[in-house]
Amino acid sequence: MHNEVDKKQFSFSQHLDTTFLKELYDNDFDQAALVFATSAEQIRAELNIAQEKFSVSDTAGLRKVIHKMKPLFGYVGLNKIISDFAAFEDICAGTADISETKKGFTHIVAITEQALQTIDSEAKRLKQFNTQCL
Amino acid sequence: MKFQSIIVEDLQVSADFLRKFCEKSGMVEVNNHFLNAEDALSYLRDNVVDLIFLDVEMPGASGFELLDQLVYAPQVILTTSKVEYAYDAFQYNVTDYLKKPFTYQRFLEAIQKVGKKSEQQNGNSEQDHMFIKSNGKLIRLHNDDILFIESMGDYVKFITPAKKYITHNTIKNLETKVNPQVFMKVHRSYIVNFTKINDIQENTLFIDGNMIPISKTHKSGVMQKINIL
Repeated sequence: MHNEVDKKQFSFSQHLDTTFLKELYDNDFDQAALVFATSAEQIRAELNIAQEKFSVSDTAGLRKVIHKMKPLFGYVGLNKIISDFAAFEDICAGTADISETKKGFTHIVAITEQALQTIDSEAKRLKQFNTQCL
Repeated sequence: MKFQSIIVEDLQVSADFLRKFCEKSGMVEVNNHFLNAEDALSYLRDNVVDLIFLDVEMPGASGFELLDQLVYAPQVILTTSKVEYAYDAFQYNVTDYLKKPFTYQRFLEAIQKVGKKSEQQNGNSEQDHMFIKSNGKLIRLHNDDILFIESMGDYVKFITPAKKYITHNTIKNLETKVNPQVFMKVHRSYIVNFTKINDIQENTLFIDGNMIPISKTHKSGVMQKINIL
């Protein structure tokens, strides 16, 4: 009984879209912990691929990776980042010249790295919470 | 009765959410999950489903290319993170369009649309006629009078033994509205009344002296449908 009460008391961090996350996970914090951890892992992997595509001037390939990464931020409540990714996806779609994407890509890498810290931190909080509830 | 479905989605986390929502709804059974359109198409050549949850951008062929090659018309819920696909979704007559990530509530709304459309389609399978708008009039055509329907871009031509009727519509749209017990799509530009087929020679079928191509992707569907002794 005590554990059930605790489970209801978990709150997602305020800088995340808490309303959306509450609705998405509907108090299933085991799933939330799993999704936060796997999303961070996948975002890291995709960021590496994006950097490879950028280094070989493959704008079409870069756009595809950015497109794939985009919804991952939504599952962890970072919906604002999605619009930055969508804007960069459009830049990539509109050019074959990689130099035109440089400024945008630098921004994408920076916000992704910052986002990863946030996701890792929330994944850790969720994991601790779920462990305490066992 | 549950809707039999497949998920075609290259993002595992999205597929996991879909699977969970399907289970939670109790209305949808997920028979399989594919990471690309090619594998899904191969499965769909031998298996019939009521519903496809379909991502648009995947490695290899796109979700729309998969729809172009389908020999029958299950309902489709597009799942994508790009709103720009909404227009194409409309063109392909999909049942709903879910922008990733989406909530369970939004998923349920989509499934309710599937239910409604399914009821309409069941009604269609008992219809022996249809009304088409041609030259400013609504004309009643009996299924038995229609030999085949041919695409003309944004228009289609209904061919009957006596007359041809041109109306503003698409093969894609008609595919889900005609009686599936009588009509089938044999090519991206043709729906035929298969009770009117006179003969088939390799990749061409003949109806009342008209030659109609059978596309490679629709060939197996045609052969399954006709009664070969």
